[in-house]
Amino acid sequence: MSLKYSGYMGKVMAVDLTTETVSEYPWSDTERELYIGGKIMAARILADHLTGKETAFSEDNWVVISTGPLTGTGAPSSARFNISALSPQTGILASSNCGGSFGLYLKKAGYDALILKGQCRKKRWLEINEEQFIFHDADELWGTKTGECQEKLIELIGKKNFGKLCIGPAGENLVKYASIVSDERSAGRTGLGAVLGWKNLKAITVSGTKMVPVHDKEQTAQWIKKWVSYLQSHPLTGKQLPKLGTAGLVSSMQMHGLLSTRNASAGHFEDFEKVSGETLAEEYNITNKGCATCPIRCARTVKVYDKTVKGPELETLVLLGGNIGNCNLQKILDWNYELDELGMDTISAAGTIAWAMEANEKGLWHNGLSFGSIDTLSSIFDDIAHRRGIGDELAEGTKRLSEKYGGKEFAMHSKGLELSAYEPRRAVGQGLGYAVSNRGGCHLNGGYLVILEGLGLNVDSQTPKAKADFTMLFQDLMEMISASGQCLFTSYAFFPAFLLNKPNGMLVKIVNFAATHVGWAVRLINKFPRICALHLPMFHHTKMFTLAIGMKMDFGHYIEIGERGYNLERMINNRFGITAENDKLPKRLTNVPQDPKHPETKVPLETMKKTYYQARGWDKNGIPKEKTLRRLKIK
Amino acid sequence: MITVKLFGLLRIESGIKELHLEADTMKQLCDNLCLQSERISKKDLDKCIILINGNKGNKRSKLQDGDTVIFMSPVAGG
Ligand code: SF4
Repeated sequence: MSLKYSGYMGKVMAVDLTTETVSEYPWSDTERELYIGGKIMAARILADHLTGKETAFSEDNWVVISTGPLTGTGAPSSARFNISALSPQTGILASSNCGGSFGLYLKKAGYDALILKGQCRKKRWLEINEEQFIFHDADELWGTKTGECQEKLIELIGKKNFGKLCIGPAGENLVKYASIVSDERSAGRTGLGAVLGWKNLKAITVSGTKMVPVHDKEQTAQWIKKWVSYLQSHPLTGKQLPKLGTAGLVSSMQMHGLLSTRNASAGHFEDFEKVSGETLAEEYNITNKGCATCPIRCARTVKVYDKTVKGPELETLVLLGGNIGNCNLQKILDWNYELDELGMDTISAAGTIAWAMEANEKGLWHNGLSFGSIDTLSSIFDDIAHRRGIGDELAEGTKRLSEKYGGKEFAMHSKGLELSAYEPRRAVGQGLGYAVSNRGGCHLNGGYLVILEGLGLNVDSQTPKAKADFTMLFQDLMEMISASGQCLFTSYAFFPAFLLNKPNGMLVKIVNFAATHVGWAVRLINKFPRICALHLPMFHHTKMFTLAIGMKMDFGHYIEIGERGYNLERMINNRFGITAENDKLPKRLTNVPQDPKHPETKVPLETMKKTYYQARGWDKNGIPKEKTLRRLKIK
Repeated sequence: MITVKLFGLLRIESGIKELHLEADTMKQLCDNLCLQSERISKKDLDKCIILINGNKGNKRSKLQDGDTVIFMSPVAGG
């Protein structure tokens, strides 16, 4: 079959786990053009299948594992793949992105995506190569942690160079926030590990030697060279992320009152220096590391139990640090490793523990946990993964626990997904993002406005002005970066270096001031993206599409596809009952000022939501209007 | 005496976490700080966000004995 576009292998395979049969799922050039790949492609497939009646633990819950067209083309940071399905945590659409090598190898085997339907009748693992899909009994693997499981897979396949993903005990035992692990990288959020666990599928391996076709090889290679050198010379992607990793944000968040502390009851942690990125770099870090094809290399390696392993990200440092009243960094390294091994999302696990600590201290649920008392945490995580004792309850997550015991006003989740590490009362645009994000309380899917509101630029962090419009723009931009197979961190180089290198300069002050006054201009771009029919010099992504994929692309077209993806996901969520009522935050964040002396330090959510819905072309109930869906060619 | 704390890349690259320096103005403090390490230049300090006792400051701010000044290089990305 000849394809109109390069970058694709041209095959989407539907695997029926119940009957252990495989067929090709039709996917055309037009669909490639409209939905690209990754999470947007998954949203289209799921939108065509889901009716609103399915549940996460049902045979009808299809799991879509999809790559983007840039994966395998050599584009920077492009070894990402996406997993989407209904989430057991939120009951709505889940999507989780992973930097492990599975996606790269899936393309080498000749496939752009996999759809997993049904449920294995017994415990299985699946081996995929260029010719075959082979089901194996997983009795030998069941019960293993993710590291051991992947070691065993290497023995079973008999070589090292292949892609793999697996679940740990948490996924097997249907912990609501179980993750899927590929190499040392996790598709952490939204509990998709439990979906594989329910499907009795412990692991998938994939191998192959096919090459990903590239449209204009010579020019693509030149463009990649230029792009990599731009990323490496940029202060964020060339210096801060390689040297400090995401952990480098801890101190800055502290200074800006954004560091979630004691279950987000505060934005400052008195002992933050002990758990900061600087301390990690000075006392614990061994080297930096990256996902395949990434010149940024933001990951850390550290020593845990005499092993060199991947270190914690910012989220884990904060949420297992100040947010549970802990300042013991070595403990955070240990737990981070243990949670990866058990196959559990560190953000949701930590968020659930923080809520349980507060609930205990308030006398709502006598569970023995309290802020700063950390000696039993390792065994509690193990209990969660195996659903033993109190672990069985904690495995249900913050939302369900707060519905059972009370304490919803301090249950830090949105739509059932625990919030990330940014305390949003000092970055209200980030608060809006958490509330409206398609997958629940996620900083990235929410639009990551905190990058304007203190981390990066210093736009007024309390005003709602222009925040809705920027939120939409950033959400759409990141949606498309993700769908193309690239890491969202490549977008940080979007901010020209001079803005970051002169934070006290007049120009930056003007930009910070002006940003809240240009909502109308951003709205115009959001409404008529085609007016941006150009390649922006600091945004290399669009030209990469033209050169490597042979697809006509410019900035306007790029964000329009992102918008299509965001609306498709919303449309699916609407079928599962999501309306404006669900786009909310716990009362602590909207009604209680972080600093009582500054009544403005809370999230003015309703004001921003109204503007956001208007900007998006949704009605006041948060439902995309027919004309919006038609304009985006969703219907 | 002014307490100076460094964060971000500036701290990693200079190897200095905290020091105590005499200065009446931010300009004096910056000059003095550059003398403490070859790895700290005026250009590096220009790139930093400055906080004086937790509030935003700049190169023209005046200082008082006992103040704490934080220099933090720009960060983003989590
Ligand atoms: S920036 Fe970090 S997370 Fe993103 S691809 Fe590179 S190493 Fe992976």
